[in-house]
Amino acid sequence: MFQFAPYVAKTLWGHRARSLLTISGAGVAIFVFCFVGSVQEGLDRLTSDESAQRTLVVFQENRFCPTSSRLPQDYAGRIAEVPGVRDVMPVQVWTNNCRASLDIVVFNGAPVEQLRKMRDLTLVAGDWSAFAGKRDAAVVGRSVAQRRGISVGDQFTIGDLSVQVAGIFSSSVPAEENLIYTSLEFLQYSRGLDRVGLVTQLEVSLAEEADPDAVAREIDEKLKAGPVATTTRTRGAFQASTLADLVDLIGFAHWLGFACVGLVFALVAATTVMSVQDRVKEHAVLQTLGVRPSRVFRLIVAESLVLCLAGGIVGTAAATLLLAWGGFAIGAEGATIAFRPSVSLAALGVGVSLLVGLVAGFLPALNAARTPIVQALRQA
Amino acid sequence: MALVEIRGLTKSFKKGGETIVPLDDVDLDVERGELVSMMGPSGTGKSTLLNAISGIDRPDSGTIFVDGVEITRLSRGKLADWRAANLGYIFQTHNLVPVLTAYENVELPTLLLPLSGSERRKRVELALEAVGLTDRADHYPRQLSGGQEQRVGVARAIVAHPKVVVADEPTGSLDTETSKQIQVLLRRLNEELGITLLMVTHDTEVAGIARRRLRLDQGKIVEVAGEFPRGATVSAI
Repeated sequence: MFQFAPYVAKTLWGHRARSLLTISGAGVAIFVFCFVGSVQEGLDRLTSDESAQRTLVVFQENRFCPTSSRLPQDYAGRIAEVPGVRDVMPVQVWTNNCRASLDIVVFNGAPVEQLRKMRDLTLVAGDWSAFAGKRDAAVVGRSVAQRRGISVGDQFTIGDLSVQVAGIFSSSVPAEENLIYTSLEFLQYSRGLDRVGLVTQLEVSLAEEADPDAVAREIDEKLKAGPVATTTRTRGAFQASTLADLVDLIGFAHWLGFACVGLVFALVAATTVMSVQDRVKEHAVLQTLGVRPSRVFRLIVAESLVLCLAGGIVGTAAATLLLAWGGFAIGAEGATIAFRPSVSLAALGVGVSLLVGLVAGFLPALNAARTPIVQALRQA
Repeated sequence: MALVEIRGLTKSFKKGGETIVPLDDVDLDVERGELVSMMGPSGTGKSTLLNAISGIDRPDSGTIFVDGVEITRLSRGKLADWRAANLGYIFQTHNLVPVLTAYENVELPTLLLPLSGSERRKRVELALEAVGLTDRADHYPRQLSGGQEQRVGVARAIVAHPKVVVADEPTGSLDTETSKQIQVLLRRLNEELGITLLMVTHDTEVAGIARRRLRLDQGKIVEVAGEFPRGATVSAI
């Protein structure tokens, strides 16, 4: 079955400049495809994972940027009385940039014990006691630490905030790894913030049987008569709304991913067509020696497949490594979308290149297999 | 029964507004072990006949039997299988695969046969030895002279132990000295290995190595008796 594999390999190696250029082009396109895919996956994770659907965020009504939402902290007690609410965590948010940014720094201040209970955080360096024991201590998400070169023991300063790094954490929710957690009081009492008794948002953990929409309605109804009206949504809906502008942009980037697939197709198809045109006579000679037209077809499809797959593997591997090492994220108004590599994304990158390789080689291969031998042998 | 039996073979094609009939109701028998040369002016259908016998071109009508198999009835795929097992083809312009070594070029037809690796190796080595190119096995076509390339082409044509070998102007692109070497080689293959060889040539000297000589003229085959005069032109025959 693979007796002609060395022939395919030697043919591609014999035209190595052309092969390498095609592989590089396909690799770059699949790299971009994977990168765009990771943004898409990050957004999907943020808005549709189970914890995002089972946690409510109470925010000041008609406010979007965390700097403009000011809720009384004692709302937590009133919300806790609503049936279906298991726990309420007051969160103070600080961000260096309310607009869309690739290097957004977001601080979340929350009671330490509640934070550990409500968030799935695992320290990969440092310890919790150092975090709990010092007022200006912070635990830093792995992605931020990676991006900013932060280690345990460092003093990290941004704007008016300066924290002592007590730990680096990982999380099963990649977006969490783009946050820096401090104690609630630290952010409330920090110079310039002046938020004593106020919080940006309240995060509500629901009981298993609770209906998120019904509880959200009841919370807003209960607080309507208070000094500040609220809007309560699931965390998924809250983040989708917060990142609405980016969602449109990411939706558009989705087309960029398709364009990359088209680019790989055009590139590999052009190379295969050129290769077939250059070797019309060679294919006729092979058929004269007794190679079946169907095998000529398969040999050409195999060449196209190898080029595309090699490009796909290189592009996917490069994207996976960069996404793993870079800790990239895009954020706006305190919410972040993490670009993370995933097995499904890598499989998609390789799968797409495999499929494109098959399709790109199909017509040139069919053409070569169907060209009359005598006519092809007469070509110079 | 003759190894190759051709009956009523006709082939025509249109060129401009004119219908050309290079083969017109041709009959021909070639016996096992024969060395047959075919001459004739350009465009008289020599290559067309050779291509029809090889199964790479289809006649309009007529039948071709090779060792009892009516190849004119075989499908394209079946014809390819038949060629792999029964036919060797020597091209005028060698037509070696440029990215493969001499050894790999000769090995190509054996990849299509159900042979073990050791049998394949043995056959390739013997074929290369038969054409005197054992020491050039690892050379690529670009590293070989024209004569050496044609000898690789000959080795490739005989490596599968075909029933019949056809050669289309086997010395057409070679200088006189190299042409003579190829003539000797073809004669030796016929005499020593008993290979049935049908050869198309413009060169009377090359045609002279065949005991049986044919001439194609206006779509018909004519047997030519006696020796060709050395150095005579095709039109003089």
